[in-house]
Amino acid sequence: MILPALIAIGVVIGYPIVRAIQLSTTEFNPLAGADPTPVGTANFEQLVDDPIFWEALRNTAIYTFGSVAIAAIIGAMVALLVENLSGRARVVKTLLLTPWAVPFVVVAFLFRYMFDAQSGVINALLMDLNITDQPVDWLVSSTWALPTVVAANVWAQTPFFVLVFGAALAAVPNEVIESARVDSTRGLAMARHIKLPYMRNAALIASLLMVVANFNDFGKIWAMTEGGPGYATTTLVVWVYRLAFTSFELGYASAVGVIWLVLLLLFAIAYARMLRRGS
Amino acid sequence: MQRYSDRENTSTNRARRHHPLSPPLGLRALAGAGALALLMAACGGDDAGTSEDGTVTLTFANWADTEDATRPGLQETLEQFEEEHPDIKIESEGIGFSDIGQQMVQRVQAGNPPDVAQLAGNDTFAVASTEALAPLGEHLDEETISAVNPADVEGGTYEGELVAFPWIDSPQGFWYNKGLMADAGLDPEQPPETIDELMDALAAIKEEFPGITPLGLDVTNRPFGLGANWAWMKTFGAEPFGESGANANSPEMVEYLSWMSELASNDYIEPGRKIGEFRPQAAQDEVAFIWDQDVFQGVVQDTNGMSDEEFFEAWGVTTLPTGPSGEPYSVNQGHQLVIFNNSENKEAAAELIEYLSTSEDAIVDYTMDTALALPPVTEPEGEVAELMDTPVRQSFIEDINPTFTVPPYGQTFSAGYGPVMAGLQQIVTSGADPADVAEDIQSKLESALD
Repeated sequence: MILPALIAIGVVIGYPIVRAIQLSTTEFNPLAGADPTPVGTANFEQLVDDPIFWEALRNTAIYTFGSVAIAAIIGAMVALLVENLSGRARVVKTLLLTPWAVPFVVVAFLFRYMFDAQSGVINALLMDLNITDQPVDWLVSSTWALPTVVAANVWAQTPFFVLVFGAALAAVPNEVIESARVDSTRGLAMARHIKLPYMRNAALIASLLMVVANFNDFGKIWAMTEGGPGYATTTLVVWVYRLAFTSFELGYASAVGVIWLVLLLLFAIAYARMLRRGS
Repeated sequence: MQRYSDRENTSTNRARRHHPLSPPLGLRALAGAGALALLMAACGGDDAGTSEDGTVTLTFANWADTEDATRPGLQETLEQFEEEHPDIKIESEGIGFSDIGQQMVQRVQAGNPPDVAQLAGNDTFAVASTEALAPLGEHLDEETISAVNPADVEGGTYEGELVAFPWIDSPQGFWYNKGLMADAGLDPEQPPETIDELMDALAAIKEEFPGITPLGLDVTNRPFGLGANWAWMKTFGAEPFGESGANANSPEMVEYLSWMSELASNDYIEPGRKIGEFRPQAAQDEVAFIWDQDVFQGVVQDTNGMSDEEFFEAWGVTTLPTGPSGEPYSVNQGHQLVIFNNSENKEAAAELIEYLSTSEDAIVDYTMDTALALPPVTEPEGEVAELMDTPVRQSFIEDINPTFTVPPYGQTFSAGYGPVMAGLQQIVTSGADPADVAEDIQSKLESALD
């Protein structure tokens, strides 16, 4: 019974990985009309000296960890705030989860319009409040483009953390809460010393899941900036797309893909270990 | 192994192997043979695309079928073709403009290209470099080839073979808004002819109308973006790369980048917008000058409802203002039609190409009425000749078309456009030093073109 599953896994997962690793050691551009030429580790050596690779790696790290850190903090605060809502007020909890259900393309275009330099609501607000007298070029500024894309991602991911933290809070034993109350623990002290420790495991697992999701996130970035201006929002996944499907440098793109795979494997191993420790 | 054999012989496993719901062996063999036959049929035979009654079915990959503005006109034109050629059926495959080049390369790799495809710009040469395109000289007669603009024929020639036939011409021209020019104290009948005159005009426009876009220019990081900016670079004498490799840190390129930096720092351009995003703005008199294709007229009129006469009153088009080289240039971003080597029906495909590019019905209904572009024919007749007789179309034919230049399309362009456009975006969004950016582009180009 295991054999069919192994065959399916081999075809669906194993073959692309082996093929990517094999291609990463070749020079292959279908536009050149030639078969792949073995080049050993030349693609990886070229990567080390390629400034775009390091910029993409840096952007990937900022996008991935920045989004997770901010969304997790906001998610934790919101979960604590809405924890005790009851009756009709519980509809707020449902509303808070709606961004999670919005398709990524809609999120991307929503934020493109909101952050449009000329007609966006963000600039209008900032100018009305006299915070700035000039419209800010959010998405076409080398400085602001990446933070803007991160903001869109945070908006989309925060509900996931609210959901996970809400579940973790619901699992805090009543006796623990009651004991703390007996000791006159209230408000922030209750959140910090009693509830947050119970949210730690959930935070770790949810964060790792979102790190993997952000690491692979192509759609939002492509729809908002296509990796620009310049390489300001180019992450590894966007760069691989450009290399493979607009420059057709399949050997070099595969080398980037292999590095990307190794990094993802590290996250996956960390996630698996954490799950094991949690259970 | 012993334990495994024992387990295999248990009654439970025997029963599982002969489950009452399992089809009998004969039926399974029949199903397998059927599947094999279907697979073989799917893989195709010698007469792929030809039915028993001799009707040929051509697959035609194009983006015109994916866009609301062009789909009805295309479908109508293809129906007309089928009526006139009852032995040929067209199966149109809509693929988005941005994806069609890469999809064609992938389908060539997979051995499954269509019979005919619509391509443009670098995509044509990227696909041609896979050696998958049929030489059209073998399938189109001399009369048909000589009926179209020789520059278009040259623009569709790859390694000495005509592989892409012009469908519509779509050169870029320098459009100027006469009303805004007049209101800003400029002579609306004297558009800027040099970069210096352009800078003076942009300053006057900016001063009079601080809220509008003085110059609509597409600097997005895509092959089309570099195609759109190639003419501007060339008028500065700059060509960031070519057959001899990377040449981005030349004094001419630095001068061009400095000029772009000046445009951005004075808010004369709006980086990040695709050319199509400027057109609705232009229709509301919110763009003074725009570097755009001939389709601009149709989009503006569709948006604001102007008549032809009103449009010619409001807008004019001329050649690119010249830079230090003293020469104006324009890149034809027109659409071409190609036949793939794999096609079993090249003669029928050639008939389709000839019809779409040169027949009066197709030119009037699709090229001019739907795509709002110029036909590639050199001597238009009848209704086509009448439709060509407008100041805008005459300006394109007489003034702009002779300034055509072809970028180094193909594998080099596919690899090189990214570093150049990323550098250009850096210049117009960060105020970086042009010499540093030119050097940076050069090093990235050397790596990309290696």
